[in-house]
Amino acid sequence: MKPILLQGHERSITQIKYNREGDLLFTVAKDTVANVWYSVNGERLGTYNGHTGAVWCVDCDWDTKNVLTGSADNSCRLWDCETGKQLAMLNTSSAVRTCGFDFSGNIIMFSTDKQMGYQCYLNYFDLRDPQQIEDNQPYLTVPCAESKITSAVWGPLGEFVIAGHENGEINQFSAKSGEILKKVKEHSKQINDIQTSVDLTMVITASKDCSSKLFDSTTLDHIKTFKTERPVNSAAISPIMDHVVMGGGQEAMEVTTTSTRIGKFEARFFHAAYEEEFGRVKGHFGPINCVAFHPDGKSYSSGGEDGYTRIHYFDPQYFDFELEA
Amino acid sequence: MLIILYSSKPSWADQVEEEGDEGKQLANLLASTLPPSKETVKGNIKTITEYKIDEDGKKFKIIRTFKIETRKASKAVARRKNWKKFGNSEYDPPGPNVADTTVSDDVFMVFISSKEDLNAQDQEEDPMNKLKGQKIVSCRICKGDHWTTRCPYKDTLGPMQKELAEQLGLSTGDTTKSAGDEPEPATPAAGSKTGKYVPPSLRDGSTRRGESMQPNRRADDNATIRVTNLSEDTRETDLQELFRPFGSISRIYLAKDKNTGQSKGFAFISFHRREDAARAIAGVSGFGYDHLILNVEWAKPSNN
Repeated sequence: MKPILLQGHERSITQIKYNREGDLLFTVAKDTVANVWYSVNGERLGTYNGHTGAVWCVDCDWDTKNVLTGSADNSCRLWDCETGKQLAMLNTSSAVRTCGFDFSGNIIMFSTDKQMGYQCYLNYFDLRDPQQIEDNQPYLTVPCAESKITSAVWGPLGEFVIAGHENGEINQFSAKSGEILKKVKEHSKQINDIQTSVDLTMVITASKDCSSKLFDSTTLDHIKTFKTERPVNSAAISPIMDHVVMGGGQEAMEVTTTSTRIGKFEARFFHAAYEEEFGRVKGHFGPINCVAFHPDGKSYSSGGEDGYTRIHYFDPQYFDFELEA
Repeated sequence: MLIILYSSKPSWADQVEEEGDEGKQLANLLASTLPPSKETVKGNIKTITEYKIDEDGKKFKIIRTFKIETRKASKAVARRKNWKKFGNSEYDPPGPNVADTTVSDDVFMVFISSKEDLNAQDQEEDPMNKLKGQKIVSCRICKGDHWTTRCPYKDTLGPMQKELAEQLGLSTGDTTKSAGDEPEPATPAAGSKTGKYVPPSLRDGSTRRGESMQPNRRADDNATIRVTNLSEDTRETDLQELFRPFGSISRIYLAKDKNTGQSKGFAFISFHRREDAARAIAGVSGFGYDHLILNVEWAKPSNN
């Protein structure tokens, strides 16, 4: 396969996300802009300009109308997807680490870092009530005193948010009351990324403890574990195959002291049921910070510490490949 | 219906570079009157021809070819495809901007499975595989299948054997006598225990001069061919595929640019047998490969 290389960022990629149909790919990085690309040919549709700090997270609602970004400039911003205009800006007291639309696109959540004497908070806003945006007053705020949230996604039916914490815990925070519905601790270190399967029944975590785990989103039952020898920065579940892709590599601070050959900067493909690695794709010359599957499962993208995003369209061999049990 | 433009990496053969004096004169002449860029659509291939002059006054003609593909998509997606660009891309023309979208080199998914082991078994005709079973290298210390210096028992067994050898009266001084082809397991390295200096001419193996290296080298040179006029995109694996049908290959050297890693356009292929090499010359010389005509000939023996 010939990957399409997207060079829209000057610093390392922090998150990439497809919209629901997968025709658009959003990328954010430690520079201040958010980019949106046509995934089919890598053409850049536009940029969302306005942030003044590293952008940590991005999300797009189900009908691709609005885009949400959270940044280290202490703001979470809402954009019009088509024109790139800023619709709303929600100021916070510390950096915004994770953000997301619920499936209806009406409720947004974002979490802030434990920083500068401020606690980590998980905030919920209802976009149908303009007053909340205007007053910058969320309808629900959940403080997380113990360990900060490092990754979060909406669970099924918009009932709760599944959040991964710095200490390896996973919590379900109700979107109605804010209480913790379920709590598990399967990881020993920070959870870098959580992504859902296409039908939202499962979530996959990527942790600094060199493993990635599959959970049931409602019960948080631990289903599968995928082990590697490097910290995992991101993991995604294929929408059409029983496959899981993981991106990682050693920590960014150690990159300069290791060569790409032993740096293990490949994207690694595991069989979801057998927990066995079956393929690797090279390309990045830094650790992979984020991976995402196209919703049709025929391509995947990865964003790296090297600042590049690569869109890979799978060769026919990938679809023919069968792992022997 | 929507139109998607695919950029394809232009082959260097398409990129005409007018260099040298001629180009400079042309550039001076044409500096003010550059031909306008042309855009032609022929079937589903769109060609854009542009002219450019760089700082050195060299004139470039850049031809870019795009494949236009029509795909059916849902209404919502098709509508989004027609959105106007915004932000930093506001003034970009339709189609991917080469400044931020490029097609990178081919990468392959490396499959890891027991399947690979099966494939290896299939390739039993490969002479290298047969060699694997045989001992090519034998350790002097433990008789293992590795070089003596790499022996894991070097530090433990080695000195013990030396002591043993000394007790048997095989000190370093005597080794000159046994310097024949006797494969003494305990032949100590020169100047080891006794600390006495042994001139190289008296050391073990001084009589068999370079026996291990030279003949191989010769055979190698004899069955080496030089391939020129290769395309830039050629890889070692391509050469392997191309030349493997002629016989077993002992070595492939593809000259590559130090910085870009691209092929410099020539390669040396060493076969195990000279007949194979001869057949390869007869077979591949003049062969059209990657839109270039290959030139294959015997490699001239290297000076060193």
